[in-house]
Amino acid sequence: MKQIQMRKSSTTSLISTKKIIQMNNVWASYDSKNFVLEGINLSIDRGTNYAIIGQSGSGKSTLLKLMNGMMIPSKGTIKIDYVSPDMNNKKFKNMMHTIGYIPQSLGLVKNISVLENTLLGALPRLSKIQSLFKKFPEHEIKEAKRILNLVGLSGKEDRKIYMLSGGEKRRVAIARALMQKPTILLADEIVSELDNVTAHEIMDLITDAQKRTNLTAIMVHHDMKLALEYANRVAVIKKGQKILELGVEGETIVDFQTGDVTTEEIMEMYDANSKK
Amino acid sequence: MLTPKNNIIIGIIIALLVVASYNVDANPIEFVEGLPNLAIVVEEMLLVEPKYVPTAIWAMFETIQMAFIGTIVGFVIALPLSMLSARNLNSKYVYGPVRALLAAIRTFPSILWAILFVIMVGLGPFAGVLAIIMYTIGFVSKLQYEAIETIDSDPMDAVGSIGVSKWQLIRYVVIPESASHLLSHLLYMFDYNIRQTSILGLVGAGGIGFYIINYIKFFEYGKAAVFMLVVLVSVLIIDWVSVKIRDKYIIKSQHGMEVTTK
Repeated sequence: MKQIQMRKSSTTSLISTKKIIQMNNVWASYDSKNFVLEGINLSIDRGTNYAIIGQSGSGKSTLLKLMNGMMIPSKGTIKIDYVSPDMNNKKFKNMMHTIGYIPQSLGLVKNISVLENTLLGALPRLSKIQSLFKKFPEHEIKEAKRILNLVGLSGKEDRKIYMLSGGEKRRVAIARALMQKPTILLADEIVSELDNVTAHEIMDLITDAQKRTNLTAIMVHHDMKLALEYANRVAVIKKGQKILELGVEGETIVDFQTGDVTTEEIMEMYDANSKK
Repeated sequence: MLTPKNNIIIGIIIALLVVASYNVDANPIEFVEGLPNLAIVVEEMLLVEPKYVPTAIWAMFETIQMAFIGTIVGFVIALPLSMLSARNLNSKYVYGPVRALLAAIRTFPSILWAILFVIMVGLGPFAGVLAIIMYTIGFVSKLQYEAIETIDSDPMDAVGSIGVSKWQLIRYVVIPESASHLLSHLLYMFDYNIRQTSILGLVGAGGIGFYIINYIKFFEYGKAAVFMLVVLVSVLIIDWVSVKIRDKYIIKSQHGMEVTTK
């Protein structure tokens, strides 16, 4: 396991490319009374492996739903590649296929095969006739098989989802997202409930894909240690507010910005997670 | 538990039962006194006339065909209607009117639809088929939209968020996710329609019921018994087949396991 050292420095960006996600004073609520997110500011560079951590109910999953347009903020502005993520916005609708989303429960269709689930990622590229007759072009099937090979599911293409293990199901969800040829991948606690070895295999898989395709991966975790191990940047959410953002370079924390949290609290949080 | 509140509720139900029985002349004494009449009928029915078995089998075959056409055509029409009625797929401006239409269709039992179609297309099996279609549409679409509304929302969210059309979402997520329910409804409806079609003959809409009612009218209980026995055996066979199909395709997909049947 990597040893993370903390070194306070200026808030320089690690990857100096243009911003792909910007959130400015975002508030969100499911019932327009109680806010699950309060004044969130985020700025994520293209190609970043970004981790969002926090305890249950802190608003992490809501942040992802705001990024793919499944939820509209009550206040504030969000820009995904300079477009507002709103399903009624035609410009955003046209770019939705570039955002891969893996919900915590994975969202796989359980009565169809591994290959068919993977091919769902290619649906936005299908014509109406092809969709109607479930006729995926040969090159899409070939690509799906290539991706399934990449995620370690070669030979299991015809299995139904209910026949797979927890780790294998996660690999299918990743394959479906990669099939979209995404520029952004949103994953909600994809390795929670997995044993340590499988969790690292899944994280390695996503990190490899992220580096190879310059994908912006935004992953929600509740394990700080795992986040620090893989992410370039880590945001900590507590009770709907971003209390901390860290920049990680190799084994060193290169910068951190705090909200209402002391350095001692950060260290306590890290220690508590390390002991898990 | 018999709390004072529960006692009052039970008391009210019993009182309503007595009042309603009085209103509809439900008299247990008459029932007991009438039992010997049933014995006469049963006695006559035991004088089964086997030479009518081929006719009965043919009439049952016609009944099964009527139920089959009615179920399949009704199911095919009900499927898109149920998609339009599901609250998780449509706005209230779409599902509201479609549900109202389906509720109106369900208001009539199949026997009333049969009378209506006998007036329209004349006596015979075609009127029965049309009645079964209408009944299947009203009934299956309700079962289906209720099943669609209970499917897991996560696959819909995950696939919906990649910008697919509603049609693609239905084709690739909603139908596969609810497939086991749809198949279950199809089997149930076929099973139910066979029983229903058997009585549509009462109003001249074809099928084996036409023979049964006519023999009973002329007090030929022995002949009627042959036809009733054929209905019984056919229903038992169809029930057994549908249990096998259910075990093989439905239970497995719902629970993720193979069911071994003895």
